[in-house]
This record gives sequence, C-alpha cells and structure tokens, in this order.
Amino acid sequence: MAGYTILGRDPYWMNFWGLMILTAIEVIAVGVEISKAITMSILIGIAIPKFIMIAAIFMHLYGDADSKILTMTALFPAFFIIVMVFFIGLTSPGAPTELPAWCRPPSWL
Amino acid sequence: MSGDHDYEHHIEPWGPHDWSHGAPHNSFAPLVMSIGFGVFLYTFANIFVMGELVDISSMAGVMLGFIIITLGLMIWWRQDMSFDGVYEPKGVGAPFRNIDLRKVAMWIFLMSEMMVFTSLFSTYIRYRLGIQNCEELFLSGEWVEGTTVTCFEPAAHLIASSWFHLAPGAVNTFALIISSFTIVLALKTAKMSNKKYAKKYNIDKSDVDAHRSRKVGVFLGSTLFLATLFLTLKLIEWFIGFPTPGPLTELNHGYDSIKSLYSEGYTIHAAAYTNVHYDADPTSKYFHIPADSALAMMMDAGTHPGGVMMADIRVSASTFYVTTGTHGVHVFAGMVGLSYMTFKALRGGYGPSNAVSIEYFGLYWHFVDLVWVLVFPFFYLF
Repeated sequence: MAGYTILGRDPYWMNFWGLMILTAIEVIAVGVEISKAITMSILIGIAIPKFIMIAAIFMHLYGDADSKILTMTALFPAFFIIVMVFFIGLTSPGAPTELPAWCRPPSWL
Repeated sequence: MSGDHDYEHHIEPWGPHDWSHGAPHNSFAPLVMSIGFGVFLYTFANIFVMGELVDISSMAGVMLGFIIITLGLMIWWRQDMSFDGVYEPKGVGAPFRNIDLRKVAMWIFLMSEMMVFTSLFSTYIRYRLGIQNCEELFLSGEWVEGTTVTCFEPAAHLIASSWFHLAPGAVNTFALIISSFTIVLALKTAKMSNKKYAKKYNIDKSDVDAHRSRKVGVFLGSTLFLATLFLTLKLIEWFIGFPTPGPLTELNHGYDSIKSLYSEGYTIHAAAYTNVHYDADPTSKYFHIPADSALAMMMDAGTHPGGVMMADIRVSASTFYVTTGTHGVHVFAGMVGLSYMTFKALRGGYGPSNAVSIEYFGLYWHFVDLVWVLVFPFFYLF
C-alpha cells in the first residue's frame, strides 16, 4: 500500500474526500445560474484533477516502486488519443468538401 | 539472479502447470469466453436491424454464446478459487523486470479500453461541435412547423433541467467514488500482515483469518451493492422514471413524477422529437423565448408563424446511449467479477499472499470510475 501520506493522513482517505467534494462542486455548478462558458470551464477544471487523483492515488501511479514505468505504459496511447480527439473529434463535418483548393486532390471539384 | 532471468524468484518462467496448486495464469478459460463472446455478438447483431426484430432464430445463437461464456467463467473461477498467491509470475526482461506480469497485462488491457472510450468521446465531440444545437436552431427561427430538422440535442438539456432529473446521475457519481474507496479498503484489509491485523482489531492471532475474510467480504460486497445501485439508477433514468413526493411536486414544475429519457422521447428512433422548450406558443407554460433572439424578432415582425419545432435527434441520442451504455456494460462486467470475488473472500480466499488479485481487479474498477469522471460532466451536465 501507499508508503506516503497526504497532510499527514492516509492518502486513500484524503483522496476519497477530495473526490467527493469536487463532485459536489461539479453538481452545484450545473444547478446555479451561470453562463455556459463558465459552467464548462468549471466542469473541465474539476474533471482533470479528479482524473489525476484517481489514476495517481487509487490506481497507484504515484508512490509505488513500479509507478514510473506503469505511468509510461498508461501514457503510451496518449498519442493516439490526441490524434482521435483533435483530428477526428474537432474536425468540421464539412471538412472534406470545404478544404481549400490547394490541399484537395486534383480530381475533386 | 542470472542473466535476464529471475530464477531466484521462480523456478520455471511459466510457473507450475497445476490448476489446483497455484498458477493464476496458463488458463484456457479466457479463450473459451472469447469464443462465447464472438458467438454472442455475431448472432445478437443479426436479431435487430434498425430496431426491428428480423431474425428471432438467432436467439439460439445468443443463448449458445451465453452458455459458452458462463462455462468459460466457471472454468476460470474454478481454477482461481484455489490460488493462494504462492506463485505470482514476474517480468523477466526490460522494461517490466520484476513487475508482476498480471499487473502489466491489466494496464495494457486498460489502455486498450481507454482507446475504446476515446473513440466514443471523439465521436461525441465531432457530432456535438459539427451538428447545430437544437436550442440554437430553434431560437434562430430557421425551421418550419411540420418539417423535421436535424440537430444535436444534448441529453444534458433534459437531465440538467432540474435537480430531480439530475439526481440518478449525481447519486451514481457518488456511488462510484464510494465504491472505488470500498475496494481500496478491501485491498488494505486483505494485505495487512496477521500481526498488524491482530493488533489493529485487538483480536487473537488465531481469529485473524475468519475476521479478515468477513471484513474483506463486506467491503467487496459493498462495492457490488454500489455497482448494482449504479445500474438500477441507470435503468430508472433511461426507462422507468420515478415519482416526486407530494411536497416536492411544486419544485418539479407542478409535476408529480420525473419521466424517463425514453418517455421524454429521447430515443434513437425518434425522428421527430418535440421537447416542451421547442414550443413557440406564447400561452405555453414553458414559453421562454428570449426577446433578443432571432425567432422572437421574426415572430414579432410576423415573418415566422411560430409553432412546435420537430427535431431529428437520432445522432445525439445514439451518441449518448452508446457511450453511457458501453460504460454500463463495463460496470456489469465488474459486477460479475465482484460477485465471484465476494464469494471467494467470504470463503477465506484472500490474504496477504494473494491480495494483489483485489488490487488488479481494483485497477479495472478505478478505470470504470475514471471513465465516469469524464462521462458525467460531458454527457449529463453540459
């Protein structure tokens, strides 16, 4: 188990409460009347630390003897994930037909 | 140590070939299960086409697939039941030297799973950004009553519209986080040395095994309960709905029940979805068109007759159900594993020598939680 503490306490216990508090903030952020952009910023801003907290502490990617190599293993598909999200997820539906002429095959009109 | 091989740690790289005395690997059961899954998926895909029942005879294949999967699971569990941690295979070469092979394998499996969910997320982002939002389309006035328009209706538009709608998803989020913690507690309890355990719970050393079995069983059972709660609430949210108690009716716009997504018309079949928000009738209870919107101006000028906008939301509904459904399937798979592990724990199957089995299952379970951390805000809240 973890050979370290967070603020002098059991890291799993601290992580659990941290996740509970962040989730509560997330739910409240949606309930209150604020702009969509701010809501989205809060949701992303909370999802990232939650993701890291679960991976690092609950999944032992931090603090164990083999954490470093397993983190590298976990990060391996990051390249493919970036390709999928940025080059598929963020493309426009009109991309194939709205490409500028210079980057379209000559046979395309 | 000799060369690249950790002969001191284990005598033979592939371990003892004796199902009854140790090896957690070398099992042919996953192969049997893969065949079962293949038969199941192939025949299941033949039963429905576009939501229509076309080949009921394939049900026999579906049942056969189930039987093969169950058989594979029973063989696997029979082999694992006696695993006491005597032999845990380690990596013998770089970069995983001396790391448990099962741990490495689990991580590689999880990364392949991450790719599955990334493809679902990129699909979601692609459609969410690429197809015009239904609400924006409605307010733009670029629609005519009686004609269906294609637009993206995020499930969050319904779910996050009231605290009651949001309740199942929010409770599920907390349930998964708590379940992640209960599995950590199961691991900690199983891993503790007998001496430390006896001291912590102030019990005699001879009682440690029975006490530990009960405690690990309770923690794993709690995780199973929370997973069951998760899927039950999902079922309620998708198909059943729930009543709002009397005093809370007013907070629910006067309605005495929360409809399921299915009842709201949020389905993969609905080619003409009409949400109450897409009603331009000024006498409607939900009339809330902003005065500065294009639709309001067009209606004031008499260039738009108003009415009810009919939307084709099949893409958005499919994206929502496929992504959250895939996650639900993972929760269900976890429940199957947890059922076995709880049973094994209550029979005294886990102790310090083989607690890593709980850790490796825990990695999977935390991953399921991890995916939900992303699914919840993007599919339920925004």
